[in-house]
Amino acid sequence: MIKLIFSRLLQGVFVLLIISFLIFALMARAGGDAVSALDTLRSSEETRKSLRGLDGLDRPLMERYWNWVAEAARGDLGRSLTLHIPVWNILRLPLLRTGLLAAVALLIAWLISLTLGIAAARRAGSWVDRLCSVIVLLAASTPRLVMALLALAFIASTPLFNVFGPTSDSATEVWSLRVIPPAIVLSIPLVALFLAQTRAVIRDALDEEFVRAARAKGAPEWIVLLRHALRPALNPLITVFGFSLGEVMSGSVIVETVMGWRGLGQLGVEAVGTRDIPLLLGVALAASAAVMAGNLLADVLQRLNNPRLR
Amino acid sequence: MKWPEKQSSATLSPPAEACAKGRPSKGASAWRLGLRKLRGRGSLIAGISVVGVFGLVFFLADWLAPYDYRSQSRPESMAPPTPIRFRDAQGQLHAWPFIYARRLVDRSTHRYEEITDRAYPLELFARGYSYEFLWFFPTNLHLFGVRGDAGAEAPRVYLLGADKFGRDRFSRLLMATYYSLLVGPIGALLAGALGVLIGVVAGYKGGWTDTVLMRAADVMLALPALVLILAVRATFPPGLQPAGAIKLLLVLFVLLGWAEISRLARGLTMELRQRDHVMAAVSLGCSPAQIILRHILLNAALPLTTQAVLILPTFLLAETALSYLGVGLQEPEASWGSLLTAVDNSVFKRGHAFAELSPALAITLFVFGVRLIGDGLEKERRELEVERSTRVERSDQQ
Repeated sequence: MIKLIFSRLLQGVFVLLIISFLIFALMARAGGDAVSALDTLRSSEETRKSLRGLDGLDRPLMERYWNWVAEAARGDLGRSLTLHIPVWNILRLPLLRTGLLAAVALLIAWLISLTLGIAAARRAGSWVDRLCSVIVLLAASTPRLVMALLALAFIASTPLFNVFGPTSDSATEVWSLRVIPPAIVLSIPLVALFLAQTRAVIRDALDEEFVRAARAKGAPEWIVLLRHALRPALNPLITVFGFSLGEVMSGSVIVETVMGWRGLGQLGVEAVGTRDIPLLLGVALAASAAVMAGNLLADVLQRLNNPRLR
Repeated sequence: MKWPEKQSSATLSPPAEACAKGRPSKGASAWRLGLRKLRGRGSLIAGISVVGVFGLVFFLADWLAPYDYRSQSRPESMAPPTPIRFRDAQGQLHAWPFIYARRLVDRSTHRYEEITDRAYPLELFARGYSYEFLWFFPTNLHLFGVRGDAGAEAPRVYLLGADKFGRDRFSRLLMATYYSLLVGPIGALLAGALGVLIGVVAGYKGGWTDTVLMRAADVMLALPALVLILAVRATFPPGLQPAGAIKLLLVLFVLLGWAEISRLARGLTMELRQRDHVMAAVSLGCSPAQIILRHILLNAALPLTTQAVLILPTFLLAETALSYLGVGLQEPEASWGSLLTAVDNSVFKRGHAFAELSPALAITLFVFGVRLIGDGLEKERRELEVERSTRVERSDQQ
């Protein structure tokens, strides 16, 4: 277990290094930086030169990258080129908000999927089963962008707007009921993924001999379902959970931007507009690190659940 | 052609067997045989029809569009859809549909009023802006338009209303369909090709090649692709020409999208490698390229195609999302995503939500159609597998 965690952490650091280097290299190749985004201000060549000198943008690529890595290792991701405060200070709250959003969305998705999936698996061909098929198809076909736009318009036309509307620009709070609508929108495509899996694995598990044995010895139905059917089915479900995390992060970019939840995704979109590469790099790395941490958690859970894997 | 009276049921696959039992031969025509093939393939057919309609729009976008998607008519900003009339202001019925010109009444609420002095009949095969039909034949014919006479210019007909610059939403939707269908499926195809290549190499070579490639695939699958695309996109100039933007999107899609299909390709390759026919080919001294192409890829074609179809929506939705965020295709070009930027939270209050949300409907319908095809193919694959395994069992018994 310790070995697994250690090797995964090492791999994570390696991946983060590759990502950051690629973005650095691309930036140098394209010659695009925050100073060239200032073109509209008709700044003189000298002003731009001195601005570049101020942010160290005039040094060679490898030197800049090395400096950045050395500082990042000490927890300093550099300064934002537009806001001129440390990137980490800008990232902290949005990272928490996105974490909250993702957690609530995953919770909703799993609650729905487990309840409906188990009910559908128990009676193949029943109305619950057919309802699940319909839900899977519809939930998987409706894009998040469309759902987010509809949800926003719907909330705006009801008195719920004050409770559930977008967060204000200056809001520093993280814990807020406003997380619920974006979380629901974020969770719907996940339901399609999880529900189909849950139904399939629980159905397989219910066919097993040990489930029949448990029923035969007279165990109550809920014990049979939770202890005998769900337990062995958990591992594939945890795998799906791990793989869904990247999608959750990608999806939250859209949901946050449309519905005004000021998380990492929205911050990233804003940073693209101002071409604030250090900030964007921070966003990309934070998002990747968060997803990889989630994956590691999934692996650990899997090993805890299944002693054979340890 | 007559259905044979006594068909030995052993040569039929299980579904066909059941079919033949349930329906005694009733003079099956070719038509009936065809229908039999279609049975149980409802979702495949429905999906292909939906996607087919979008395919037609892709090829005929310019012909279907009455106006250039960039041409503006500023006085008609946010005009609601033009009512198409058969009954004129005097209550008289006409055989041919017509429209009235409109005049802005209230600038703040975008209310328009019809000028009923004179009717402008709609026209089939009208002349409009020039374009190349199917990218080859220069023409200016369009499916429909409004007939004006010399002197009086015809008013524009807006099937879905006009956007805030007075551009025809219907024409823009058609062009958006063109661009979105260009980027999404091509991206899926290229990423699929790279994924299959990597997967087959990993599965065929095995050893540390396999370990490295599949580790990389695991990492790619776990990364938040959209965030990375945003980061890379920011290193390029903000305003890109459509061709440049499309190329950039495609490169990013291929680099980030190969992982999922590569895992499937690897699994299939490893399984097929053990099969007798591949062993035979190896012992006959076929080159690896020959074996991979003819004996492995050919046999893995159906599951790989199914997977490619299933991941297509991901690419399409990524393009839509990026265009919505303003980093994909950019104004005045149209994509489903960039059209949706006009939708704000008062869309239901303006009274023509359907017209404004039409790009959303298009995306949803297309993705729905693709998923139906994917489900249909998946079903097909399972049936083939059942058929194959029963055949193997039979040959084992003999």
